[in-house]
Amino acid sequence: MSTIELQNLTKAFGDLIAVNDVSLKVEENEVLCLLGPSGCGKTTTLRMVAGLEVATSGDILIANKNVNNLDTRDRNLAMAFQFYALYPSLTVAENLANPLHAENLSAEEVKKKIFEIADILQLRDIINRKPHQLAEGEKQRVAVGRAIIRDPECFLFDEPLSRLDVQLREKMRGQIKEVLSDLKKATVIVTHDQLEALTMATKIAVMRDGFIEQVSSPHDIFAKPNNIFVAGFIGTPQMNILDCKINEINSSILKVNVLDQEVEIDFETSFNLNKDESYFLGIRPRSFEITDHNSSNTFSGQVELVENMGAEVLIHIKIKESSFKSVQNRSHNIKIGDSINLIPKKGRVHLFDKEGKVIRNE
Amino acid sequence: MKKKAIGQAGWLWTGLASIVAFIYFFPLLFIILTAFRSRSDTLATPPKWFFTPTFENFYHIFYRSMSNSTEYVATGFHAYFFNSIYISGMSVLLALLIGTLAAYGFSRYPLRGNDTYLFIILTTRMLPPIIVIVPIFLIFRITGLAGTYTGIILMYTAFNLPFSIWMMKSFFDELNTEIEDASRMDGASERSVFFGVCIPQVKAGLAATSVFALILTWNEFLFSLLLTNKFTRTMPPAMARTIGGEINVDYGLLAAMICLFIIPIFLITYLLQNQLLRGVTFGTIKK
Repeated sequence: MSTIELQNLTKAFGDLIAVNDVSLKVEENEVLCLLGPSGCGKTTTLRMVAGLEVATSGDILIANKNVNNLDTRDRNLAMAFQFYALYPSLTVAENLANPLHAENLSAEEVKKKIFEIADILQLRDIINRKPHQLAEGEKQRVAVGRAIIRDPECFLFDEPLSRLDVQLREKMRGQIKEVLSDLKKATVIVTHDQLEALTMATKIAVMRDGFIEQVSSPHDIFAKPNNIFVAGFIGTPQMNILDCKINEINSSILKVNVLDQEVEIDFETSFNLNKDESYFLGIRPRSFEITDHNSSNTFSGQVELVENMGAEVLIHIKIKESSFKSVQNRSHNIKIGDSINLIPKKGRVHLFDKEGKVIRNE
Repeated sequence: MKKKAIGQAGWLWTGLASIVAFIYFFPLLFIILTAFRSRSDTLATPPKWFFTPTFENFYHIFYRSMSNSTEYVATGFHAYFFNSIYISGMSVLLALLIGTLAAYGFSRYPLRGNDTYLFIILTTRMLPPIIVIVPIFLIFRITGLAGTYTGIILMYTAFNLPFSIWMMKSFFDELNTEIEDASRMDGASERSVFFGVCIPQVKAGLAATSVFALILTWNEFLFSLLLTNKFTRTMPPAMARTIGGEINVDYGLLAAMICLFIIPIFLITYLLQNQLLRGVTFGTIKK
């Protein structure tokens, strides 16, 4: 069984705790993305799994076997590195062959495997080139090839696409996803790019300051964020986080004071909330609909700025002193200075308490 | 940067460069010419630029008359030549071996207070060696190291070590550690990471470090003068004795000795020049 399990994993560098009590499980055939801003401990976590970094405390289980005391080379893992880590003096073929040295294969078998991988990743034409003669995308494919040429227990990827340009990144995302789904192994990908995580992962773990903030499926992490950090980190443009005060609770309908307006919001579920206390509302810019009249359930304000996004426009709406953002179709023909009325879509409004934790009735 | 073909520098710059080069190389040229002059040509004023070359100075290095006798005797100079090669070769090898291992350790497995240790190592190069010569001389006398190959080799190794450690550390620091991690993932042991991955990448550094250390050791005079005896003496003090022993300095003989003296260094630098150029420019060019 190809699985990875982390139990209360902690890593301290002196006083700095880089990874704090992280517990995770990656099942066979599952692709887990460790997602977070730089310095959140995601790469350190990956390096501990690989055995390149020694954990301060906690356990790492690979295929249900504790590997705490095993050296990197005895853990039977494969890893693709951010800067590709190709041996500069070896050709592509030799770079690909390197992980096979430990397996004592015959020259024939090694050659067969190299061509197999070269076909999957379209490296046939460049097989005799050295790394400095390769384009960035080709280097990246060789790095992936070197990771998948063996038949290891699990796969680890450290920011595999971060050095590619946007177009190539999109292409490689698809290719890696395809390769991974054929391999059927537990895989961990470290990335700071949410789009990469949302498209390639079957499960996403969002990290911040060494802690795991939330582990969910890509859809849930977007649709049901556990706290304000995850809500703000996932999704572009960023979710609007607005201060609010509850004026009236009428089963599922809350009358809240937000942006100096009283707005009625239907949550379709009833909460246990305290009146007159302050909360946060989270509404994604794409969760607003335009209406032509001002009523009790609309956010009404003036358009302050219109940013072009292609088929859509990002509009900044000003209500008195504060402002929020919304994405609307270009066909509405919105101009700066227009008055606008927006209704949040049903079930798409998130409510957070003062600590930033979501309030939700499951 | 656009690469300029040879000859594109223009006459002005070529001329200027030639003048500078001539000023630099003139003393060397003069010494080489003197080595092939006969005794009377050597002392001629103004210097004779055209003369019949002779090898007698080179012959005199190995066989010549001592004091006032006319009989030619072997001077044993070849032994000093060998001593110089053996002693500097061994000490540079040792310094390189220990220095490279230490540098790798300092670079990859930093200790608590790593920088302090490195600084302490560097401080040994901050004072002129003459300051420590008296205690070292006494230590060598007491331990019986004075006059032995072991003694002088250890001495030179100790002097070359700080330089080797610092220089090699900067080369290891420049390497991309991901490649080392990748080879660990590929199943390499720590030993093969060092020998198979790191060392091949710092070849230029090894060349540069060894040439610099070799030049320092090869030219070293003071310690050799005081810590070797007539069997282990190296070239610099041996050459000095040739001047000091006689009333009239035989410049032709001295020039011939200098010619022999620079040949090994010249050869090694020439052989390693490609690596050396990469070595001294390491880190200054963006990859």
